[in-house]
Amino acid sequence: MARFIVQRLLAALVTIWIASIAVTMLIHLVPGDPVRIMYAGFQTTDAEIEAIRTRLGLDRPVWEQYFMYVGRVLTGDLGYSIVGNQPVLQTLLQRFPATLALTVSSLFIAVVVGGSLGFFAAYKRGTAWDFGAMTLAIVGVSMPHFWLGLLLLFLFSMTLEWLPVGGSGWQNLILPALTLGLATGAVIARLTRSAMIDIFDQDFVRTAHAKGLPKTLVLYRHALRSGLVPVVSMLGLQFAYLMGGAIVIENVFAWNGVGRLAIQAVFARDYPLIQGFILFFATVVALVSVVIDVAYALLDPRIRYGT
Amino acid sequence: MSAPDTAQAGPAAARLSGVQQALTALLRSPSGAVGLAIVLLLVIAAVFAPLIAPHDPLRMASGPRLSPPSAAHWMGTDQLGRDMFSRVVFGARLTLQIGVIAVGISLTSGLLLGLVAGYAGGWTERVLMRLVDVLFSFTEIVIALACLAILGVGLVNAMIAIGIASIPFYARITHSVVLVEKNKPYFEAAIAAGASRLRLIFVHLLPNVIPTLIVVGTLGVSTAVLAAAGLSFLGLGAQPPQPEWGFMLSSSRDLIARAPWMMIFPGLAIAITVLGFNLLGDGVREVLDPRQRAR
Amino acid sequence: MTAPLLQVEGLTVAFGHGAGRNVAVDDLSYTLEAGETLAIVGESGSGKSVSSMALLGLLPPRSARIESGVARFRGTDLLHLPERELRAVRGNRIAMIFQEPMTSLTPVLRIGQQITEALVEHRGLSLRDAREKALETLRLVDLSDPPRRMQQFPHELSGGMRQRVMIAMAMALEPDILIADEPTTALDVTVQAQILDLMRDVQARFGTAILLITHDMGVVAEMAERVVVMNKGRKVEDGPVDAIFARPRADYTRRLLAAVPRLGARASEDGPRPTVADPAHPGDDVLRAEGLGKTFAGRGRLFGRAAGTVAMDDVGFTVRAGETLALVGESGSGKSTSGRAVLRLIEVDRGRIDLEGEDMRALPQRSLRRARRAMQMVFQDPFAALNPRMSVGRLIGEPMQIHGIARGADLKDHVAELLRRVGLEADHMRRFPHEFSGGQRQRICIARALGVRPKLIVADEPTSALDVSVQAQVLDLMLELQQSLGLGYLFISHDMAVVEEMAHRVAVMRQGRIVEMGPRRAVLGAPRHPYTAALLAAVPRPDPTAQRPKLPQLDLGTIPMGPLAEAAPGHWVAT
Repeated sequence: MARFIVQRLLAALVTIWIASIAVTMLIHLVPGDPVRIMYAGFQTTDAEIEAIRTRLGLDRPVWEQYFMYVGRVLTGDLGYSIVGNQPVLQTLLQRFPATLALTVSSLFIAVVVGGSLGFFAAYKRGTAWDFGAMTLAIVGVSMPHFWLGLLLLFLFSMTLEWLPVGGSGWQNLILPALTLGLATGAVIARLTRSAMIDIFDQDFVRTAHAKGLPKTLVLYRHALRSGLVPVVSMLGLQFAYLMGGAIVIENVFAWNGVGRLAIQAVFARDYPLIQGFILFFATVVALVSVVIDVAYALLDPRIRYGT
Repeated sequence: MSAPDTAQAGPAAARLSGVQQALTALLRSPSGAVGLAIVLLLVIAAVFAPLIAPHDPLRMASGPRLSPPSAAHWMGTDQLGRDMFSRVVFGARLTLQIGVIAVGISLTSGLLLGLVAGYAGGWTERVLMRLVDVLFSFTEIVIALACLAILGVGLVNAMIAIGIASIPFYARITHSVVLVEKNKPYFEAAIAAGASRLRLIFVHLLPNVIPTLIVVGTLGVSTAVLAAAGLSFLGLGAQPPQPEWGFMLSSSRDLIARAPWMMIFPGLAIAITVLGFNLLGDGVREVLDPRQRAR
Repeated sequence: MTAPLLQVEGLTVAFGHGAGRNVAVDDLSYTLEAGETLAIVGESGSGKSVSSMALLGLLPPRSARIESGVARFRGTDLLHLPERELRAVRGNRIAMIFQEPMTSLTPVLRIGQQITEALVEHRGLSLRDAREKALETLRLVDLSDPPRRMQQFPHELSGGMRQRVMIAMAMALEPDILIADEPTTALDVTVQAQILDLMRDVQARFGTAILLITHDMGVVAEMAERVVVMNKGRKVEDGPVDAIFARPRADYTRRLLAAVPRLGARASEDGPRPTVADPAHPGDDVLRAEGLGKTFAGRGRLFGRAAGTVAMDDVGFTVRAGETLALVGESGSGKSTSGRAVLRLIEVDRGRIDLEGEDMRALPQRSLRRARRAMQMVFQDPFAALNPRMSVGRLIGEPMQIHGIARGADLKDHVAELLRRVGLEADHMRRFPHEFSGGQRQRICIARALGVRPKLIVADEPTSALDVSVQAQVLDLMLELQQSLGLGYLFISHDMAVVEEMAHRVAVMRQGRIVEMGPRRAVLGAPRHPYTAALLAAVPRPDPTAQRPKLPQLDLGTIPMGPLAEAAPGHWVAT
C-alpha cells in the first residue's frame, strides 16, 4: 500500500514535470515574436521590447530558460502578469478558493445524482425506468454546460427570482455548482450504469444469489462494493473534467475563479499568466488524482494488500 | 464416429453485403435510427442552407430588433434584427466543418500514435503512452486554451486547437484496442505465417481497430462540437458576424431576460446535434459489439 | 418406497420470444434420490447447465423463461415457489458450486464473511457461532490454517483452494443436494482429482445428494451412480452408470462414448493408430531445441524489478519428420511457452533452436520470415486464431501469398484443394470465420498451416476448446495428414488420453523444466518420474468398473527437478 502511494505520487510528479516543460515550450511555439504580441496593446519602443526580452530571459537558449523557470517555480515565483504586473502565483492562489468551492460542490452533486441514477438504471436494466434514466443522462451529456447554465439562470434568477444573478456569496455558488454537477452527473450516470451491469453479470453475484442471500444484501454487499472500485477509479478523470468545465461555467456566472482569469489571460496574450495557470491546473489535477487513487486502492483489496 | 461437424452455414447467395447488413442493424436499434435521422437532418440543413433559410443570416434588420418568434421570423430576431432561424440553419455548416476538421485531426494523429506505440512496444510504447496519459489528464479544454494562446483566437484556430487537444484521447483508445488485438492468437498466427511488419499493421491490426474508432470518432464529433461552441461562447472561437451557435449564445447572455429566444434556439441546435452524434455513436457501437446489444 | 428427494418432470426452458425463441431444455424429467450422485452429461449446448440453474431460479431473469415443468423437492414445487420461499431453499437445502473458482468469489470481501453470511442468513447464527462453524468447515475441506484463510481475500488463494472454499461455503449448511456445475473443468488434473475426492468425502459424511453437471465422461464414470445423457436440450437416455457405459441404448450415447479417448487403450502399441494404407514412418530430425531458457520479467517497478517467472529452464527436445512429440504438463508448466519459443513467437533468453539444421535464433528478421514456411502453428482457440475480418479464402491463402507459392487463380485452386483436404467444401472460401462451427474453424486453421507445406506443425492444445465428438474428428484428421505427408508435430496438451492417441514420444514438463522424456509407451506405461506417475494416476478413467488408483502423495520438496539422465535408451528422467 505504501509502495502504491509512493508510485502514485511519483506519477504525479512526472505529470507536473512534463507540464513544466510544455509550459516553457509554449512561448516558443508562438508564430512571430511573442514579446511583440504580448505588448501589442502597449506603446513600446524597440529598445523597450529588447529590454523586456532580456528581463524574461527569452534571448537565452531554451534549455537555460527551462532551468531558470524551474528554479524560480521551485521558490514559488511564477513571474509577473503582463496586465497589471501582479505576481502570478499570488493572483492564482487568491482566485483558487472560488474555483475549489465550485468544483468540490459540483463533484458532490455529480456523484450523488449520477451515481444513484446509474446504479438505479443498472438495477432496473431493460425496463422503462432504465430507458427513462438513460434518456435523461444522454440528454444531459449532450447539453452544452454553458447553455444549461443559461437555462438555469433564466429559470431561477430571472423568471422565479429565487437566486441572485451576480455576486460572490454562497447563493451565487448554487447555480454554477448545480450546472456543472448535473452535466458531470450525466456522464457519471452512464459510466456507473455500465460498470454496475458488468458487475451484475459476474459469476460472484450469481454465487451470492445461489447462497440464498436476500436481494438487497447481494446488491449492497457484493455488487455495490465491487462496483465502487471501477466507479471511484474514474473519478480522478472526472475531477479533471470538472476543473476544465469550471473554466467555462465561471464565465457564464461571473464567478471569480481561476478559470475566468485564464480566459482573460488568453485574450490578452498574457503569457506568464497562461503559463502559470497551466502549471497550476496540472498540479491540482495531479494531486487530486493521487487522493482519488488512494481512495480507490482502499476499496480494492487486491491493491490494498498487494505489493 | 459421430456425425460430421459440417453443420451448414446459410447459403452464400442469400447473404447481404456487409454494409447493407450493418445499416439494417443500425436502423433496428432505436438510438441508431434516431441518431442517424438527426445527423441526416443536420447535413441537409448544411448543404441546402441557402434554400432553407428565408433570410441572409448576416443581413441586419431583416426584421425589427429583438422580435419574438413569429410567422415571419420563426425563431425571432437578434439585437441587430438578424433572422435567428436563418442564422441557426447556416450555423449547421460551421458546426459540421468543426466536427469534420477537429475529429479529422485528432483521429488520424491519435490513430497513428496509438498504432505505433501499441505495435512497437518496449520503450517507445512506454514513453509515448506516458506522455499521452499526462496530456490526457490536462483535459481537452486546457490544451485547447494553450493552443489558442499560441495560435491566437478565431474559429479555424479553435478547430485546430480542439483537434490537437483530443489527440491523446484517440491515441489512448487506439492503443488499448491494439493491445487487445495484438494479443489475440490470430495476430500470432499471422506472424507465424511470415507476415511482414506492414502486413501485420495494415492487413491484420488496422481493420480490427477501425470499428472501434468509427464509434469513438462519431461520439468524438459531439465532443468537438461542444468544445467549439464553448470556445466560441467564451469569445475565443467564432468572431462576429459568423452565425456560430456558441457565439450566438454568448451574445444572448446579456439579453436573456428580454429575449430568451436568442438563448433557447441556438442552444437547442447544439444540444440536438450533439445528441444526434451521441445516439448515432451508441447505435454504431451496438451494431459492432454484439455484447452491448444484449443489454 | 418413499418419494425421491428431487423429482423433475417436463422441465422446458426457452430463451427469447416469438421467432427468436430458442428452446434450451426440452421436456426434461429425472429423479434424484437422497445421498446419491446423479450426473447430467452432455456436450456444449445440451442444456445441462441451464436445467440446473432453472431449479434454483438463477437463470438470467429477462432472457430465459421456464415454460413448463415441475420440480418437486420435499413436497414443494421449486419452479413455482415465490422468490422468498425459494431463497430459503437456495444455499440452505440445495447448494451450488460453479465451474470458475477464479471468478465465483466476491473479490472485495474476506473469505470468512463469504462463508458466514449464509449461516447467519439461513440459520440465524450469531456472528461468533457462524465463525466457529465456518472454521470447522474450512478444516473439513482440508484447507491449511483456516483462521488465516478466514481473513484472506479470494485473490490470495489458488484456483484449487478457491474451489475448496466454494465447497466449504456450500457444505457449511449441510444441504440435502449439492449441485456441482462442471466443478473441476477449470482445474488442473491433479487438483481435479483432489477436488473429486473431497466431494466424495463430504458426500459420505453428510449424506448429501450430488447433482453433477459435466461434459467429462471420466468424471462421470468416477463419481456418478446414475447418469442422464442430454443432447440439444433433450434427454437422450438415463440409467445406472454401469449400464450406460456397458450397454448404451441411444445412438448418441454410443457415439459419445466411442469418441472419448481412453488412457491405456493403446498401451501395448508403439505408435499412433495407422489411418492410411502406408503411413510415413518417423524420419530425420526436423527440429532440435537445446537448452532453451526464458524468464518473463516481473512487473516493472520504479527501482529494479520484481523477480521474474521462470517459464522455461534448460528445455531441449527433438522432433523427427512424421513423428509427434507431445509436451504435457499442467498450467504454468511452460509447455505453451516452449511451443511459441520454437516458432520464435517468443524470444528465448538462452538456447539453440535448429530447424532442419538451420539455427533459427541466428536468423535476422527477414530470413526468419522466410524460414517460417517450414513451421506452422495450430492454436487452442480456433475462434480467436482466425482474423474475423478476413474471408476464409484470404485466411487460407495468406501464408501461400506471403511466401510466393501461388497467386491469382492458382492461389484460389490451392485454397479450394486445401479446403477439400481438411474435409470442408471449396465454396466455403467466400465465407467468414463466424459462419463456421468450432470444429470447422479448427479445420480451417489446419488448412492454413498446410498451405506452405511445412515440415513441422506446433499444435497448442488444438482440441481442448472442442466438444469430445468433434475432438475425435480433428485428431483423426491430424493423424491422417501426418501419416500421408510425413509432418512432424510438436503436440502440446494437458490431456493424457489425447496424448496417448497422438504421440510417438512424450516430454512431461513441470515448472518450466522437462522432468521426463521418452517413447510414449514407456513414459505413459512405466513412468520413472514421480510427477509423471502422479499425473497419470489423477486422470479419471471413463470406465465405471475401473478404480482410479489412490493419489500418490507427492513430496513437492524432494521431487527430482535436476538435469535429465538417460534411464533407458531414449528415455530420460530428471535427477
